[in-house]
Amino acid sequence: MSDIRLVNLSKTYGEGNAVSEINLKIGEGEFFSLLGPSGCGKSTTLRMIAGFIKPSAGQILIGSDDVTALPPEKRDIGIVFQNYAIFPHMNVAENIAFGLKLRKRNKNEITWRVTEALKQVGLAGYGERYQRQLSGGEQQRVALARVLVTEPRILLLDEPLSALDKGLREEMKFWIKDLQKNLGITTVYVTHDQDEALTMSDRIGVMSKSKIVQIGTPQEIYERPKTLFVTSFIGHSNMLDVTILGQDANGVTVDLNGQELKTRASSSVTPGGAAKLVLRPENVLIGAALGDGDSRLSATVLSETYQGPIVRYRLKVGEQEIVAERQNQAHVERFSPGTVVTIGWDPEWSEALVA
Amino acid sequence: MALAEGRTTTRIRKHGSIAEALGGFRLWWLVLPAFLFFLVFFIAPVMSLFALAFDKPVAGVVSFAGNLTLDNFARIFTRPLYYLAIVRSVGIAAVVAVIALAIGYPLAYVIAKTEHPGRNTLLMILVLSSMQLDTVIRMYGLMVLMGDQGLINGALMSIGLIEKPLPLMYNTFGVVVGLVQIALPFMILSLIGIIKAIHPSLEEAARSLGATRAEAFWRVTLPLSMPGILAGSLLVFALSVSSYVVPALMGGWKVMVLPIHIYQQIAETGRWQFGSAVAVVLFATSLMAVFIYHKAAVRSAGGRT
Repeated sequence: MSDIRLVNLSKTYGEGNAVSEINLKIGEGEFFSLLGPSGCGKSTTLRMIAGFIKPSAGQILIGSDDVTALPPEKRDIGIVFQNYAIFPHMNVAENIAFGLKLRKRNKNEITWRVTEALKQVGLAGYGERYQRQLSGGEQQRVALARVLVTEPRILLLDEPLSALDKGLREEMKFWIKDLQKNLGITTVYVTHDQDEALTMSDRIGVMSKSKIVQIGTPQEIYERPKTLFVTSFIGHSNMLDVTILGQDANGVTVDLNGQELKTRASSSVTPGGAAKLVLRPENVLIGAALGDGDSRLSATVLSETYQGPIVRYRLKVGEQEIVAERQNQAHVERFSPGTVVTIGWDPEWSEALVA
Repeated sequence: MALAEGRTTTRIRKHGSIAEALGGFRLWWLVLPAFLFFLVFFIAPVMSLFALAFDKPVAGVVSFAGNLTLDNFARIFTRPLYYLAIVRSVGIAAVVAVIALAIGYPLAYVIAKTEHPGRNTLLMILVLSSMQLDTVIRMYGLMVLMGDQGLINGALMSIGLIEKPLPLMYNTFGVVVGLVQIALPFMILSLIGIIKAIHPSLEEAARSLGATRAEAFWRVTLPLSMPGILAGSLLVFALSVSSYVVPALMGGWKVMVLPIHIYQQIAETGRWQFGSAVAVVLFATSLMAVFIYHKAAVRSAGGRT
C-alpha cells in the first residue's frame, strides 16, 4: 500500500497537450477518481501512472519511489482494463497465476493463492474456464483477481464498468468499492460516468481539457462546483443569467430580472459583471416548501413531468427558465401548467460563477 | 450466457447442413458458377491425370487405357532417385516455411502495430508490390544477383575477398532463397490480420503483471499469433513443395524435387503414367505433411486453432 504523487505531470503530442501540469497527491488507501469527458486526459494520466506512456515532463512517485523512468513491470501496479484483457489462450486459473509465475513463486503456493483469489472474487470453481465462457461481469472479477493476487502497491481501474449492462454495473459498483475498502489498496479510477465517481470515490478529480479543474469529495464536487464546467458536467444545474451587484463577507448580491438575490460565491467577482447563478433543480423549492431566509420570486409553471420518484417542473421567471425537481412524496402539492407560484431557494445552495 | 450462446453456435455448425449455412436454397446459385468452373477446369483434369498414374506405363500414351497396375508407384519407392526427391521436396518446403516465418513475423508485427496510417500503407504496398511480378521474372532477377558472374560474386571478387565465385545458385541454397522470396508476402499477409486482432491491452496487462517486453511477447503475443503462424506456414509449405519454376531456374535442374521429375517424365520423355504417379505422390505427401503439422501445431497451442 502506498500513496501516489504526481508532480507537474505533463504529456504533449505534437502541438497539443494531452495532460498539462497535473499536481496531485492520492493518499494511502484512498479511492480516487479521475472524472471527465472523453479526450480530457484522464486515461493518458492513468496510463502514465501505469507506465505505458512516457510523460513529457514531471514526476510520478509511488510511495517514496520515483517510478517515472521505470517500465510497467517494475512499478508493482495492478491495472484492470475496460475490456478486462483476459488472456484468451489461458484458462481462468492460468490467467490468475500469470503474475505469480513471473515472480517465480513455487507451484503449491501458486495453486493455493489462485484458489484463494477465486474465492475472494466469488468465482470458486471457475479455474478451468476460458475467457469465451465467461460473462462480462465474471471477466471483470477474473481481471481483478489476476491483479490482486500479485499484491500490487496501487490499483488502477480504466473505465472497468463501461462495458457492462446497467443492472450489473450497479452491482459491480458497490462490489468493487467494498473490495477496495476491505483491502485498503490505493486506487485510481478513471471514468466519464459521474454516478460511478460520486458513489465510489473518497475524492474526485474532475478533468477538462488536459487539466484537473477541481479536486474534492463527492459532496464538495456536487454541492460546491467551482467552475461552470464542473457544474454542467456533474448532474443537472440551472444556470441563470445574472448581473453582479456587490460582494461582501456574507456572499454576493446579484440581479435576476430586476430582483436582488443573495448567493454564495467561491471566487471573487466584479460588481457590474455578468455571471451565472447556478443551482440544482432539487434545491429549487415551490410554495409551502419555502422556509425563512430563502430567496423568493414569482414564477409561472410551464410544464409538469411525472417521473415516478420525482416530479419535474419547468418554470418561467421573467424571460428565463428554471427547472425544479420535487420528491414525489405523500402530501406533496402538485402544480398544473399556467399556475403562478412562489419559488425560491436557500442562498447557501446557489452560487454565482463567472464564465 | 456467453457459454450458452457458444454451445448453440457449435450445435448449428455440427448439425446444420451446408444449405442451412448458406441461408436457403436460392443462395446455391451464387456458388454454382465457381463450382462448375472448378469442376470442369480443375477437378476433372487433375482427376484424369491422377487416374493415369494407375495405368500401365506406355510412352506417348495420354489417354486412360484401363490396364490397372501399381508398377509406377513401386518404381518410385524402390529407386533412390525418386524417393529421395520426396524427402528433398518436403525438406526444402519445410525449411522455406521456417525461414519465411522467422523473417516474416517481425515485419508483419511492425506493420500490424503501426498506427500511423501513411506508414502502414507504405509497408503494405512494399509487401504487395513484390507480388506484382511474375515468378519467372523475379527468378531471372535473382539470377542476375546470385549467378557466378552475378552482382554478389562480382563485387566480392573485385574487392578480392574471394578468388572463385561462391556457389550461390544451381544448388539447394539458391532454390531456398528463391522460394523464400516468393513465399514471404504470403506469410506476412497471413500474419498481419491475426497480429492486428490481438488487442494491445493484452500485452499491457502482461506488462503490468510483471512481464518484461520479451516475456509478454513469448507468453501472450506469440501464442495468440498461432492461427496466423499455422495458416502462413501451411500456405508457404504448399506453395514451395509444388513449385516448379523456382527449382527449375534457381536449381538449374540439379536440385531434383518432385515437380522437376514430373516435368521431366511428362514433357521430356512422354511418360505420362509415371509422371502422374509422381504427381499423386507429391499431392499425398503434401497433404500428409500438412496434416501432421496441423496436428502438432494445434497440440502445441493447447487445443486452439
